[in-house]
Amino acid sequence: MENICVILVDDEDDFRQTVAKRLIKRGIHTKQAASGEACLDLLKKETVDVVVLDVKMPGMDGIETLHHIKKGHPHTEVIMLTGHATTQDGVDGIKSGAFDYLSKPIELEHLLGKIRQAHEKLVREEEKRREAAFRAKMEQQMIATERLASLGTLAAGVAHEINNPLAIIKESAGWMASILSKTELADIPRRRDLELALGKIEKGVERARRITHQLLGSVKQSDSLFSEVDMGQLASETVDLVRKEASNKDIDIFREMDPAVRPIWTDPYKVRQVLINLLTNAVYATDRGGAITVTIQPADGGTAVAVRDTGQGIPKENLTRIFEPFFSTKPPGEGTGLGLFVTRSIIEKLGGHIHVESELGNGTTFRFILPGRPVMSDMPDPDEHTQVLKKVFQKN
Amino acid sequence: MIKIPARVLLVDDEKDFVEMLSLRLLESGEKVSAAYSGKECLDRLENTSIDVVVLDIKMPGMDGIETLREIKKRFPLVEVILLTGHGSTETAVEGMKLGAFDYLMKPADFDDLTAKLEGARKRKDEQEERIRKAEATLLVRKSGGSF
Repeated sequence: MENICVILVDDEDDFRQTVAKRLIKRGIHTKQAASGEACLDLLKKETVDVVVLDVKMPGMDGIETLHHIKKGHPHTEVIMLTGHATTQDGVDGIKSGAFDYLSKPIELEHLLGKIRQAHEKLVREEEKRREAAFRAKMEQQMIATERLASLGTLAAGVAHEINNPLAIIKESAGWMASILSKTELADIPRRRDLELALGKIEKGVERARRITHQLLGSVKQSDSLFSEVDMGQLASETVDLVRKEASNKDIDIFREMDPAVRPIWTDPYKVRQVLINLLTNAVYATDRGGAITVTIQPADGGTAVAVRDTGQGIPKENLTRIFEPFFSTKPPGEGTGLGLFVTRSIIEKLGGHIHVESELGNGTTFRFILPGRPVMSDMPDPDEHTQVLKKVFQKN
Repeated sequence: MIKIPARVLLVDDEKDFVEMLSLRLLESGEKVSAAYSGKECLDRLENTSIDVVVLDIKMPGMDGIETLREIKKRFPLVEVILLTGHGSTETAVEGMKLGAFDYLMKPADFDDLTAKLEGARKRKDEQEERIRKAEATLLVRKSGGSF
């Protein structure tokens, strides 16, 4: 049953009360007002969908009331009730923004019909507004994604370029080390100091190399590259990436790995992306001095990973919504609202599933399970993003 | 085990890298020459006997793969080890299908490199040995009898 709310405005009490009773019987939530002012007062307290408004009233007449309603509540439709043989009032009403008019004496069916039509109009307009907002967000998102993509390409280019001077440093230090090991240099003074410095150079180069390789590895996203993945190691590497941010808030990150966990066949880049999303969310949600625990256990022939935080928790009404695209509890400008949406889509594409448990004040746990071997379909399905975009832009 | 020096040609447009790696390889007993482009590499191979070419994939002008094709066409017995940045590992594998001995990612581990150089040098050596034996057998046949 539709949930239509109506205010019936007429100074003729008997008429008004009768009609109201019959509307209520037909399932329309109906409030009453005996005058234009009373109607406007009611509207201040709550919005309704449709106002059924008598034209001729003492004090503020129908047309004036209509003006006020349209000014203060543009999303409320108004149906005018005109006296017998005064269609001019009705037409004036429509010109001033009324949805339609009915002449008294009115038939209930006609009134119901008009009320429902007016309500439909409101619903359609609301939908249009929502679609427009979604499309605007989509466009914003596309721009942001493109920017991210070009940043990613930029980062990859930088990492690539850095590998060259790194190679030079590595060879130079290595050469110095091999010279130092020659017999003619056996007794040089301060040998220890030189060896120490060379050791540090080599360590530094190795660390830089790991960073550039990780950066280049995480940028490569085009195809799914399946390989054997040790979830424990992947989790450790990802935790390392997030540790700096966590320690800024004095948050400890623990990793608990069940020794019975076996490697699984999956896409390590995509799973890393999921872990980064869950971990950064956990860091955001957790207050200073809190803790995040990553547990890895075998499950159903695959592996289950849980990320638990001691943060604020998620209110019940949001628990089903957090995986929706663009749903975000962060202030505008922070975050895209797409993190969990993409995370869930990755996990499901890899043949797994993800759920959340949370209690306000008691922290949140995200848990996902990935199968030991992926369930692959024959047809490569197009990117989910592209599908949603296509739907949105096809409407035009 | 006596170390047999390999005659190595380093090819990379990064001059500093070539210089330092050469010095390091010389220090460990290899014979090293250098070239800074695909074209220079091919010119060198015309004039010098080389066992192994260490070849960077990404170079301006004639890139690594093009150079590799030419080397395999004109000097098929010379072994090639490809050096690749992270983004071109697929190209490196393609290169192996075109005849490269192996590949390494930059910045390369020196011990890995020397191990692969030794492997490449050996492979060339063994092939040349087989060729010598085949030529000797041919000679025997031609002269109509055994020696």
